[in-house]
Amino acid sequence: MFSQHNLSTRRIVLAWLLVTPVVLWRLLTSVYPFLRTFYISFFDNSPVRRTFDFVGLDNYMALTRDANVDATLTFTLFFTVTSVALQVVLGLAIAELLNQRFKMRNFTRAVNLLPWAMAPIVIATAARWIFHQDYGLINDIIWRLSGERPLWLVNFTTARFAVTITDVWKNTAFLAVIFLSGLQGIPLELYEAAKIDGADGARSYWYITLPLLMPLIISMIIFTAIFRVLTFEIVYALTNGGPGTATSLLSYLVYLEGFRVLNFGYASAIAMLLFFIVLIVGVLGYGFLRRAWERL
Amino acid sequence: MNTQTNLWPKIRPALFTLTVILFLIVILLPIYYIFLTAFAPSGKLFTVPLTYVPRSLATARFQDIFGALPIARYMLNSTLLATFSTILALTVSLLAAYAIARLNFPGANMVMIGLLASSMLPGTATVIPLFQMFQTLKLMDTLHGLLILYGSALLPITTWVLVSFLRQVPVEIEDAAKVDGASFFQLLWRIVLPVIRPGVATMFLINFIIGWNEFFTPLIFARGAGVKVITMALSEAQVIGARSEFDVSWGNMSAVAILTTIPVFIITLIFQRQIVEGITSGVFK
Repeated sequence: MFSQHNLSTRRIVLAWLLVTPVVLWRLLTSVYPFLRTFYISFFDNSPVRRTFDFVGLDNYMALTRDANVDATLTFTLFFTVTSVALQVVLGLAIAELLNQRFKMRNFTRAVNLLPWAMAPIVIATAARWIFHQDYGLINDIIWRLSGERPLWLVNFTTARFAVTITDVWKNTAFLAVIFLSGLQGIPLELYEAAKIDGADGARSYWYITLPLLMPLIISMIIFTAIFRVLTFEIVYALTNGGPGTATSLLSYLVYLEGFRVLNFGYASAIAMLLFFIVLIVGVLGYGFLRRAWERL
Repeated sequence: MNTQTNLWPKIRPALFTLTVILFLIVILLPIYYIFLTAFAPSGKLFTVPLTYVPRSLATARFQDIFGALPIARYMLNSTLLATFSTILALTVSLLAAYAIARLNFPGANMVMIGLLASSMLPGTATVIPLFQMFQTLKLMDTLHGLLILYGSALLPITTWVLVSFLRQVPVEIEDAAKVDGASFFQLLWRIVLPVIRPGVATMFLINFIIGWNEFFTPLIFARGAGVKVITMALSEAQVIGARSEFDVSWGNMSAVAILTTIPVFIITLIFQRQIVEGITSGVFK
């Protein structure tokens, strides 16, 4: 009855009908607003002053003169590099730990997931109390060990580390789970062969485990780096970007400009800068990833 | 050299146990400290050095926050938003995932890559136009408005994971059903859904946790008490009865932190294995 052509046309129509809700939903709530942000970034748009005037590249020129943007970019770089490095190293270590056989392994694996499951805003708000100078948990331990009580959130450097430590505490679990799954995918015969050749634990880790995990490690570095650049809650609740602008991140700056100052045009330009940075991280990372695959 | 090699087998297990204990302390102690703070009697909150063993459990703080804030309403909103955004996202993602995994149509790859790329668009790069759209469409301060945004955030990953689950399932069962003359939705409901139920269940759990933990979206789009969610009560609880800007109630904050965290902890501890499977299937397959 039906010709082959008819059947495949029906199939294609059905397929597009089925993907339409998802595609349309994303177009309307993500792609279109993003393009619109790009458009608004060329306007002086303020709901308070009731303006929508084309200003060309003025918002972008203002970005280059804005000391807050400078400080934010500096901290973004510090935060991304430090946090990603710590998360990857600790994530690999925890994965190795959770891959061993021991009595409380299932319990330890469950505990590892707890920070992942907690809301970022809960952790960020609670961290302010944990880092409290007089009554915080961290200073209590430091004081018992050394008699000192560092002013975590008041000094530039320590505030930056407080944000980074909080972020590492929350997000390393995710990497550990991914790396653990990667470890479980490595055939045991490889290690047995290495043992016969006389390679000990550290050596077989260096010559077998790490090279085989490398593509996974690199793709997780890209992924983690992008999400560091996008971080909002930790800075919003733990430090308010302070002291001064020492711990300000771009998402937080977009929030301040957009929803406190109500300067939509300029906030959109900052958002585009944020997107541009994410794009660079993604493209650079993809390049590294392809080279890692080729080497494997 | 010789003594070193003899001692190592004895030191290694001890060192390993020590590392595990250290790891557990680093994760559990801060959580325990918040718990301690939430239940400490108000006079016992500020002590130097800290006391790590609770002398009494005071529930006064929970009565305070339930009295001063519509906490039950916030938790209900969080539950409704997390549940329905998850159901909606799973439903439309399943339709799309079926088309992508089974129907072999031109553009399937483009849809997959487009979804992935759109998930890389930062929320902060879309929030201002969405804010303006929501004002024009009168969606501000409405649960269905929030549902649109909550659901949207879940679609890319959910579709990806469901596609990967579908691709692991043999097509033959579906072909048999087709021969029997089952309609498309019968096929989806009676044949496909039962086979990929583990994948759907996993994504349900993960998406619920993501929805429950949401903060940035409600911060911008939910300003009335009727639509606020539990994560917004953290900062509100801190200033109950505050006399100045610097008068922060850490006890109240901790109590809300406990209320916000208990549901996700229960889910995580019960469904640990499913959650891990969901996290990893999004990355590997």
